[in-house]
Amino acid sequence: MAYQFDWSIIWSEPYFRWLIIGLIKTIEIGLLSWIIALPLGIGIGTLRSLPNKACRAIGAIYVEFFRNIPLLVQLFFWYYAIPPLLGTRISRLPNLEWYCAIFGLGIYTASRVAEHVRSGFNSVPIGQRFAALSTGLSQFQMFRYVIIPYGFRIMIPPLTTEFLTIFKNSALAMTIGILELSGISWRINEYTFHGFEATTAAIGGYLIIGLTIIFLMGQLEKRLRVPGLMRRE
Amino acid sequence: MVDVSVIIENIDLLWGGLLMTFKLFIVALAGGLPLGIFLGLGRLSSRKWIYYPVSAYVHFIRNVPLLMLIFWIYFSLPILTGGLVEPFYAAVVSFIIFEATYFGEIIRAGYQSVSKGTIQAAYSTGLNYWQMARYILIPIALRRVVPSMITQSIVLFQDTSLAYVIGLHEFVRMASLIDNRVIRPLELYGFVAIVFLVICSIGSQIVKRLETKEGERK
Amino acid sequence: MKEETPIIEIKNLSKWYGDFQVLDDITTTINRGECVVICGPSGSGKSTLLRCINGLEDFQKGDVIVDGVSIKEISHTKEIYKLRSRIGMVFQHFELYPHMTALENVTLAPKKVFKIPEKEAEKRGMELLEKVGLREHAHKKPGELSGGQQQRVGIARALAMNADIIMFDEPTSALDPEMIRDVLEVMVDLAKGGMTMLVVTHEMGFAKAVADKIIFMDEGRIIEQEDVETFFKNPKSDRAKEFIDRILVHI
Repeated sequence: MAYQFDWSIIWSEPYFRWLIIGLIKTIEIGLLSWIIALPLGIGIGTLRSLPNKACRAIGAIYVEFFRNIPLLVQLFFWYYAIPPLLGTRISRLPNLEWYCAIFGLGIYTASRVAEHVRSGFNSVPIGQRFAALSTGLSQFQMFRYVIIPYGFRIMIPPLTTEFLTIFKNSALAMTIGILELSGISWRINEYTFHGFEATTAAIGGYLIIGLTIIFLMGQLEKRLRVPGLMRRE
Repeated sequence: MVDVSVIIENIDLLWGGLLMTFKLFIVALAGGLPLGIFLGLGRLSSRKWIYYPVSAYVHFIRNVPLLMLIFWIYFSLPILTGGLVEPFYAAVVSFIIFEATYFGEIIRAGYQSVSKGTIQAAYSTGLNYWQMARYILIPIALRRVVPSMITQSIVLFQDTSLAYVIGLHEFVRMASLIDNRVIRPLELYGFVAIVFLVICSIGSQIVKRLETKEGERK
Repeated sequence: MKEETPIIEIKNLSKWYGDFQVLDDITTTINRGECVVICGPSGSGKSTLLRCINGLEDFQKGDVIVDGVSIKEISHTKEIYKLRSRIGMVFQHFELYPHMTALENVTLAPKKVFKIPEKEAEKRGMELLEKVGLREHAHKKPGELSGGQQQRVGIARALAMNADIIMFDEPTSALDPEMIRDVLEVMVDLAKGGMTMLVVTHEMGFAKAVADKIIFMDEGRIIEQEDVETFFKNPKSDRAKEFIDRILVHI
């Protein structure tokens, strides 16, 4: 029995509307978790770059922990295992899965952001520190005016990739019951048995998000470009 | 509050799930690496008819969530074969297609990490292409590639958990099935998390060792 | 005649990296207004010595006294920042801040350490860039400048704090030959203007032209310290002889 393609389901109601709602939810989850991931990741990455050993250890443990457990397991843990421990006020919260997904994705991504931040600071040549200190800048001023602005520019490309990744990873939110883009495509399959068309449409949605971000970040990078910075190793 | 007996009672099932996870990992690695080498070489090719299609493939796959790719393959394989397809094969094909693009980019970066000057120096002493590759290019590039390859393999190992979504009885799905029966999420998912944490930490420690060794050599 | 007031006194300075001794019982004095050239084979500890003088690196034994202040005593206090601002430093690889313009590179420290108002700092910065011949490049970023130009900005940056002393760490060894002269010219002007200079370099032409003293180092030790004439004509040690032969043949 040959498969009968029916691309019209993508455009027909209610599926088209579902797909759009799913796309919006995916964007929301990605953006909201990024709001957690970016500052937290910068904080932890900075901890890992400080001279203080205890700070570095705390940062390292955080990163090791969250990077070495699959995101899926982390989401299950936040959604299924933790709320019952916090009493019924939490475990019966409406939209609990929504908070768990954003929180879980946010703190997971923070560990990845932290790694980019650390390696960004690490790639500032040691001579820059010497130069800054030799003019009499304090340790703090050296960080504030030289290491941070320099390292920040090195970090932009990997952080752009990470920003793209957070939208891709948001697909896992469907496993705890959120009907974002992936969840919707699965749902449409259950209604129509046209999973191929539905998932193709969803993939199209992810590509649109990806291309938009690449375009926007390209503009940002152009604006912040520093001549010669990328040439030096 | 924490009752580990649920783990002990179900250890056989959990072990079975973990074995399935390993099986997925090994098969995906065995398929993904060769395809990755192929893609990496394609991305380095100066022939446009090789370079552009391969690059398009790599960029496309890397912008799709792995979970979506699994769904997509899961739905498209039956169309291609005209019959039912085991979730295991759908998962393995997805992992191979997906991870190969990452392996390919690692290989490309490794190749590009060898400076042009070094290669020219090798040629200038009279080595031919294969000698240059055998004695200069590959040994230098490998040092860069191996740590990244292990890191990516750790990622692949964690990614196998996504086979959960098409109902494959791997480690996480097993824990979730048991949880449906006994409602012990803390112990079950905690256990799964710890097992992944231990295995992947060992891997990342190996990478750290290799990288510090490499750093000392410089 | 130069007056003999010591500005840097290095006393029995020793430093180890782990088991490896990089500096071995260094003792010397540099007087105000002197230009001292430090030379020696690579790995002899010249750059490390400079970094010990302004406290960029710790040392385990001995001390460095700069204008009466012991580096050992202040090295982990805020005092070290004040002291460093009085010792300019120029680096082999320039180490300009790539995200700032030439002018911003020069004015950062005056603005942030001395809290000099923006306008004033810029005026002074432009004067310095003029002095090194780069006024028209003030608003370019380091990546848009040639190596020689970058190094001259580096010198202007070191001068911006009105330092009493300037240390040069192989300032020309990363430069193309045709750019070396521009940089050396600026350095010769400085030396003739009476600046106290400590210069790690292999440019023996520069040494002959303006150095008051040459320090020859090998394996972390000072082997000879002589006035230029004596050093080139009658080096005492075999190692210095060998080194001079090699360098002069090179020229």
